Amino acid sequence: MRSFARAFARNRGAVVGLAVLVLVALVAALAPVLFPFSPWDMQGAPFAPPGDEGFLLGSDSLGRDVAADIAYGASVSLLIGAVSTAAALLLGVVLGAVAGYASGLVDDIIMRVTEFFQTVPSFILAVVLVAIFTPSLSSIVAAIALVSWPPVTRVVRAEFLTLRTREFVQAAEVLGRSRTAIIFREILPNALSPIIVLASLMVASAILLESALSFLGLGDPNLMSWGFMIGAGRSVIRLAWWMSVFPGLAIFLTVLALNLVGEGLNDALNPRLARRR
Amino acid sequence: MSPLRFLRFLLARLAKMIVVVFAIICVNFLLIHAAPGDPASVIAGQSGAADAKFVEQLRHEFGLDKPLSTQLWIYVSSVAEGDLGISHRQQRTVLSLIMERLPATLLLTCVAFAFALMVGIALGAAAAQRVGTWADSVITVMALAFYATPIFWVGLMLVLVFSVWLGWLPSFGMNTVGADLHGWAAMADTAQYLVLPALTLGLFYLAVYARLTRSAMLDVAGEDYIKTARAKGVPEGRILRRHILRNALLPVVTLAGIQAGQLIGGSVLVETVFAWPGIGRLAFDALLARDYQVLLGVFLTTSILVLVFNLLTDLLYLVIDPRMQAQ
Amino acid sequence: MTLLSIDGLTVSLPPGADRPNAVEDVSFSLNAGEILCIVGESGSGKSVSAAALTGLLPRGLGVTAGKIVFEGRDLRGASQADMRALRGARIGTVFQEPMTALNPLMRVHDQVAEVMQVHNRPVGRRVQELLEAVGLPDPARIARSYPHALSGGQRQRVMIAAALALEPAILIADEPTTALDVTTQKQILALIREIQSRRGTGVLFITHDFGVVAEIADRVAVMQRGRIVEQGAAADVLNQPQHPYTQALIAAIPHRPPQARPDAVGKPVLELVSVGKTYHSRGVFRAGRTVAAVQAASLQIRRGETLGLVGESGSGKSTLARCVVRLVVADEGAIRFGDTDLRPLSRADWKPYRKRIQMVFQDPFASLNPRRKVGDILIEGPLAHGTPAAEAKARAKDLLALVQLDPGAADRFPHEFSGGQRQRIGIARALAMQPELLIADEPVSALDVSVQAQILALLEDLRVRLGLTMLFITHDLRVAAQICDRVAVMRRGQIVEQGSTATVFANPAHEYTRALLDSVPGRGWTPPDQPTGATT
Repeated sequence: MRSFARAFARNRGAVVGLAVLVLVALVAALAPVLFPFSPWDMQGAPFAPPGDEGFLLGSDSLGRDVAADIAYGASVSLLIGAVSTAAALLLGVVLGAVAGYASGLVDDIIMRVTEFFQTVPSFILAVVLVAIFTPSLSSIVAAIALVSWPPVTRVVRAEFLTLRTREFVQAAEVLGRSRTAIIFREILPNALSPIIVLASLMVASAILLESALSFLGLGDPNLMSWGFMIGAGRSVIRLAWWMSVFPGLAIFLTVLALNLVGEGLNDALNPRLARRR
Repeated sequence: MSPLRFLRFLLARLAKMIVVVFAIICVNFLLIHAAPGDPASVIAGQSGAADAKFVEQLRHEFGLDKPLSTQLWIYVSSVAEGDLGISHRQQRTVLSLIMERLPATLLLTCVAFAFALMVGIALGAAAAQRVGTWADSVITVMALAFYATPIFWVGLMLVLVFSVWLGWLPSFGMNTVGADLHGWAAMADTAQYLVLPALTLGLFYLAVYARLTRSAMLDVAGEDYIKTARAKGVPEGRILRRHILRNALLPVVTLAGIQAGQLIGGSVLVETVFAWPGIGRLAFDALLARDYQVLLGVFLTTSILVLVFNLLTDLLYLVIDPRMQAQ
Repeated sequence: MTLLSIDGLTVSLPPGADRPNAVEDVSFSLNAGEILCIVGESGSGKSVSAAALTGLLPRGLGVTAGKIVFEGRDLRGASQADMRALRGARIGTVFQEPMTALNPLMRVHDQVAEVMQVHNRPVGRRVQELLEAVGLPDPARIARSYPHALSGGQRQRVMIAAALALEPAILIADEPTTALDVTTQKQILALIREIQSRRGTGVLFITHDFGVVAEIADRVAVMQRGRIVEQGAAADVLNQPQHPYTQALIAAIPHRPPQARPDAVGKPVLELVSVGKTYHSRGVFRAGRTVAAVQAASLQIRRGETLGLVGESGSGKSTLARCVVRLVVADEGAIRFGDTDLRPLSRADWKPYRKRIQMVFQDPFASLNPRRKVGDILIEGPLAHGTPAAEAKARAKDLLALVQLDPGAADRFPHEFSGGQRQRIGIARALAMQPELLIADEPVSALDVSVQAQILALLEDLRVRLGLTMLFITHDLRVAAQICDRVAVMRRGQIVEQGSTATVFANPAHEYTRALLDSVPGRGWTPPDQPTGATT
């Protein structure tokens, strides 16, 4: 564990990314303290530029505080990113493990379904799903999870396929250990590092996907989100650039931080690959 | 590869495509039926704008009184005949709407894709060749940044800089309204309008291809056959071109094929930002109008586009990797 | 005529390595028309010495002292461009791995022709002549092929053709036959010998195998931890090794002629009757391919006996062994263990037999779960069969002692051990079940020769002490001769011959067995039993 931390810390970008991520999480957690009012409420004159009228990052067309909206949006982005990734991971790991361990017909069927979901343009599928099932937190999370599990299945299946033929797994088989013991005690712990790395990148792409959905007006109407703010600022960009610039920066920083952390995890968990960089 | 085996390969791929298209039609059917409410009113739009007669007409058309399997059969066979339904908002067939918009989307995605692939590979190769230097760092950081930026926001920022502040490029539409240009002048006019959307769509994928090219080249550089080439006295430049780059392009081609779907999905956002009159913009308008027949039609069309694109990359792979021909 | 002389060569390792220098104060020379073998175990610095000569050292390594004089000039002062002009033209190189040493996207013709092109020589019909000269059949077709269509031996011939295209003064052959089967190895060694004597090329041949040395070397240099400990004429070093390390290495080579052992009597522990396994690859639009990995294999092993299953790669010997433990499910035949046919048993019905049949694997680095402590690895089998934890732990301690490991090993992870130590752990894991039948799948082929000798001695000792019955799979006939009572020879899925080791080795009945025995490197050389090097 200590050597893992040291290897992670050797990647300076990863440390910066982690710091940014902690900062975003702090802002999300402290939003009700920093801005003790509803993000939807009018706080002053509309279209106030940054710095004016006590608006740190300006106000929008309805006089709402852009800074407050960003702070409240942070928790929505992180929540949707984390929950939809967790759901996609659950689905992907189970399907990948079954396909990789069972092989044969079961594997064939699972892989055809996976291929299907990878062929279909995932963003458009997500748009269709959310639109038809009406936008809400749960429909958004479900749609994101449904379009992001295939890579997990592929990675897990590939890991299982190689690990299954590794001699230590065969030795466990020859020792007469149960299937569950072989899957959970022998194979899965050794397949964990690529899954962890993939998960960090998936949170990043889930946040991007959610922002794109709410940019198109498919966000949960009760939740303030970064994508919605950019969508709202789009038509008035000539008048109030700050309405779209700052939420975009928030998305950019969060996603970049997650990618950096992902790279750091990759370096720390796959030291053999990292050395080649 | 013998013509017979090539034909067999092609047939196998086409059969697979037909299966996938069939599956997508089934998914569309399921979506209509799984949605909250009566399928006919879902198609007609939940805003309540649809009149009872129209809903009744849809009911009849879909045979909603018949068993589900019959309904599926009716739906699949009508789609197979090219009947994607009618947009009740525009009172036109969905197919004609999509066909009208398709060329604009193809133009945008193909230009963006070509730009992303060429510049991405060039930058990735440059970074790999100078691994560890400041040039590598700049390219790597740039790729990482574009990879982390929401595509629609990039579009807005480009509009802000190049249209609003600098006034260099148009930000809206596909050609100058009322200019009545022809021939080269019309093309030049459209090209101006194309710059920003194509750049927006291309930058993200440029980042993807640059990162992949860089890591693939570093991987290949460690292969035994590169050591062999050095031992033969091959100069470094030739090793890079003839040995490293060609082998490193294989995973890039694979990924380009896989990401075709995402590229087309991204065009929905870009067309929305730039009011580019393609099927992405059509989808956005349909979304606002709750015109689900159009939305499902766009989903099917874009999926078929992806399949065609995948077939093209498979054929390309067949040409560049001799090992594929043995299988 | 001296082509090359290396004097006091020192190559430094990057900081943090297990020793400061990869190669230290190494001196040797190579004459035209001579084959110099550099022998050593893995990590001895033998490949680094050759890489220093071509200027292609791995990143982080650098020449810090010494002279490399080739054709009258010191290469240490040579520029990159000068070195490149020498490589391929004056110094040809053949590497170990034929499967990865050729560019998969280039035709064979282009890869051989490239040497001539980059050195500005005409290509013409030369490629086909070269392919013919290295004994490739149908050179015109091979020239048009891509590497994936060729076998390992054919690829190595292509490598040799490319290395010799410009008639270099020196050929560096870095373990060129290690990845090949013995029969192919014999042909490649003969080819190198033949071309070298015809053209008067000086060959620097790097190997770990004294059998190969005996086969091909004029002179030998023995390396240990970066230093040359002994060099001299091949006959002298092989038959009268002076340095203790050389003596130990030569003594470790399995070289006992097969002993006539008393026939085992009693009921067979394991009896295979016409076992078969066929693999099918499916395809919707293309014809499925079938590969018969094992066909109608029958054999018996009696109590206390060691049966060797020998054959080259792809002969089906590992598949057959895996059929016995149901890692591979056989399609046909009977696998009788005692009175039970194991083949039709389900996974659950198999469980009681897991205790009685155990397996030792080939790769000591892949056969232990890297995330579990040795102690846990040793008790997991007994625990799965209901042994109380305390008893299993106590037994694990005894087992570690039995395989001559420190009892503290139980609290450490596999990566903290060397290859030989891991193989001992793998043996202990199998013995923890107190099996009647032990299947050993190439248990020493991934090990250096000195470690190999220790593991073989351990297995022999355990067999006698515990009365084990053993099925021993190996590609190395020297190992089989040393440890097996009887051998079965496999080729393309079939057992072509079986009998007592002494008989089969002395009077092989099948032509393939004869070819195999004939291909054992260094068969004409009998290592000295008592090291005679102890000069006063």
